[in-house]
Amino acid sequence: MRRAAIIGTGQTHHASKRDDVSQPELVREASARALLDAGIDAAAINAVVISSMELFEGRALPELWLGEAAYAAGKPCMKVATGGTSGTSACIAGYHQVASGMFDLVLVVGYEKHSEGNTQAGMAIVDPYWDRAVASGALGNFALSISQYMADTGVTEEQAARVAVKARRNAARNPYAHLQMADITVEKVLESRMLAHPIHMLDMCPQSDGACAIVIAAEKTANKFCDRPAWIEGAATRHQQPYIGDIERRLTTMETLRSAAKEVYAKAGISDPRRDLDVAEIYEPVTYAELAWYEALGFCGQGDAGRLIEEGVTEMDGELPVNPSGGVLSSNPVGASGVIRVAEAASQVLGRAGEHQVDGATTALATGYGVYAWADALVLRAMS
Amino acid sequence: MIREGSIRLPFAYAAGKSGSTYLRALQEEQRILGSRCSACDRILAPARSFCPTCGDAELQTVEIGPGGVLLAWTERPDKGILGLVKLDSADTAIVHRILGSSDVLSTGMRVQARFGDASDENPEDSLLGFAPEVADS
Amino acid sequence: MTRPVIISHEMDATWRYASGVAMERFANNLLERRIEAMQCGECKRRYLPPRPFCGNCRVPLTDWAPVASEGVLEAWTVVYLPIVDNRTGITRDGPYAMGLIRLDGADTTLNHYVAETDPACLKVGQRVKAVWREELRGAIDDILHFEVLE
Repeated sequence: MRRAAIIGTGQTHHASKRDDVSQPELVREASARALLDAGIDAAAINAVVISSMELFEGRALPELWLGEAAYAAGKPCMKVATGGTSGTSACIAGYHQVASGMFDLVLVVGYEKHSEGNTQAGMAIVDPYWDRAVASGALGNFALSISQYMADTGVTEEQAARVAVKARRNAARNPYAHLQMADITVEKVLESRMLAHPIHMLDMCPQSDGACAIVIAAEKTANKFCDRPAWIEGAATRHQQPYIGDIERRLTTMETLRSAAKEVYAKAGISDPRRDLDVAEIYEPVTYAELAWYEALGFCGQGDAGRLIEEGVTEMDGELPVNPSGGVLSSNPVGASGVIRVAEAASQVLGRAGEHQVDGATTALATGYGVYAWADALVLRAMS
Repeated sequence: MIREGSIRLPFAYAAGKSGSTYLRALQEEQRILGSRCSACDRILAPARSFCPTCGDAELQTVEIGPGGVLLAWTERPDKGILGLVKLDSADTAIVHRILGSSDVLSTGMRVQARFGDASDENPEDSLLGFAPEVADS
Repeated sequence: MTRPVIISHEMDATWRYASGVAMERFANNLLERRIEAMQCGECKRRYLPPRPFCGNCRVPLTDWAPVASEGVLEAWTVVYLPIVDNRTGITRDGPYAMGLIRLDGADTTLNHYVAETDPACLKVGQRVKAVWREELRGAIDDILHFEVLE
C-alpha cells in the first residue's frame, strides 16, 4: 500500500432547493471547487468515483449523466451506492485506488437533489415480502431505535436538544451549511414540531440539495501540490444484517461503528480518542445518534454521552470539537453527506476550514452511517 | 412464490442552466440551440453545460437547424417513428419524433423542425418533431 | 437569467419478486395464522423473517421453530409526519404508532404497527399481541397491528 492524502476539497452552498442547476451542473460546481482548492487541472485526474443514492435522484445510471460533469469523460469512472455511507464509502474506494498504486490522482464526488424526489417514499422500497407494508422511512426507523437508547441510557430530550443547538450554531460559521441558526436554543428545539416521538423537527437533519468533492493524491503527487496534505492514516467500512429487527438495540450497541473505529484507531496509533483526536466530523442524521456515536467511538463511557454534551467537551472550544461544520444536522444532501464529513475533516487538517477552523488541528476523524447500522470511519492526519 | 407490485414515486427535475436556456428558446422563440466547444471546435446538440470529451472547456451557445439530415430511424407501434437527426451546423445528432408516414423515409434525407404551442411547465412540447422536407413543397 | 424549467414526472414501475423457499413457507403459514422462525444451527439465533443463511455465522439455515403471535415491545414511536405508501401512492397520515416486537420464541424483532398512539401509554418492555385481519392473504399485513396488553 502506498501512502495517500487529500489535497483539496470543494462543496456547494447547500440549500433546500437548487432549481437553478441540473444534477450534473450541481456536481460540476463542487468538482470545480475541489480542483481549484487542490491546484490541479482537470486533465491531471486519473479516475473518478461518484457517490449517489439509488432511486433518490430518479435517474437510472446517474454516473452516465454526471460523468462528464465530474471530469470523467474518457477516464475510469464508477459509482458507489451504500445508503447513507455512500459518500464515505466512495472516499474509501478512491483511497484504495490510490493506495493500491493503480492511480495517482482520484476525484471523489457525491451529490443529492432531495428537492427533486420523495426521499421518505424512496426509503420505503424495502423487502416486498417482509417490511414494505410497514415502512415508516428513516424517521420512523430512527425513532424506534431512540426509544431503546433512551431506555438503556436514560439520555434526555434536553441533552439531545443540546446537540441540535451546537450543530446549528457551528453551522452559522460555515458559509456552505444549509441550516445556519446562530440564535437557536434548547427551548426552541423542544418547542419545535414533533415529527416522530421523541424526535422534534430541530432534532432531525434537513433535506438538502448539494454536492461535495475531494481530490486524493499519491504521496509524491500530494507533496508536489500541497505543503500540508491530509494523509489518510486508516479507513474501514462495515456492513450489517439486512433487516432493522436483526440488530440488537442498534444505537446502544452500534457494533459496526465500534469495530470500524477500533480498526482505524489501531492503524493511526490512537489509544485515547478523546485525547488523541483534535476534531471529529461524524455522520449524525439525528441528535440522539450523535450521543450514541460518542459512546461507540470511545469519546466517553457507555451511558455517559448526555454528560459529555452537557459539559461542553464537544463544543468548538471544548476538548474534542465534534462537527464544527454543523454536521448532517445542518446540511444533508445524502449522497454527498459522507463526502462532506471527509472533506470537512480534511479541511481542518489542511488548515483551510475558515471561520470554523479548530486551531492547530492535526488529527481528524470522519465517519459515515447508513441504512440500519452500516458504518465507515477514516482518520486523517497532517505530518509535522 | 411470486408476488407482483408497483412502485409510484414523484420526481421534479431541474433542467438547469443550459437545459432551461435550450427549452425556453424552443418555447418562446421556436429556435433550437446548441453549444460550440472552444477546445474541439464541435457544435454539440442540444445546448449543454459540458463538452463530453473536453471536460472543462468553454462552451458558447449557438443556433442550429431548424433543417437537418435524418441519419437513422425506427418505427415502434407504441411510440411512432423515432429518428436520429443531425441538425444543420451541428456535429452531434439528437433523437426526436419523425412526423408523417414511414413510407417516404430514407436515411440521408433532409428533414425540417416543426413547432407548436407548449405550456410553461412543459416547454419541451414546443418541438413537435421533424418532417421530411419533400412534404413541405 | 432564463426562467428555470422544472419537469415533473411520476415514476410508475411494476415489479415481480420471487420470494425464495424460506419466505414462501413463512407466507403460507400466515394463511393459517401461524408464525415460524428459522434457527441457526451454530449460534442458535431464531430469525424472523426466515432466510436462507445466518449472516453472522455464514451457514445455511434449515431448521424451523414455532413463534407465538404475542411478545415484547422492544422499541416504539408515534409518527406524526405523513408518509407516501409507494405501493399505492396513497399517503398515510399521522399519528400512527410503530414498534419493534420480539415475538415469544424469536430472537430478532418484527417492525410493525401498534394500535396505541398515545406516547404516555407506550413503554419499552410492554407485552403486545398481534391482531389478525379477517381475510388472510399470506402477507405480513395479515397482521393489522399489535395491541398493548395490560
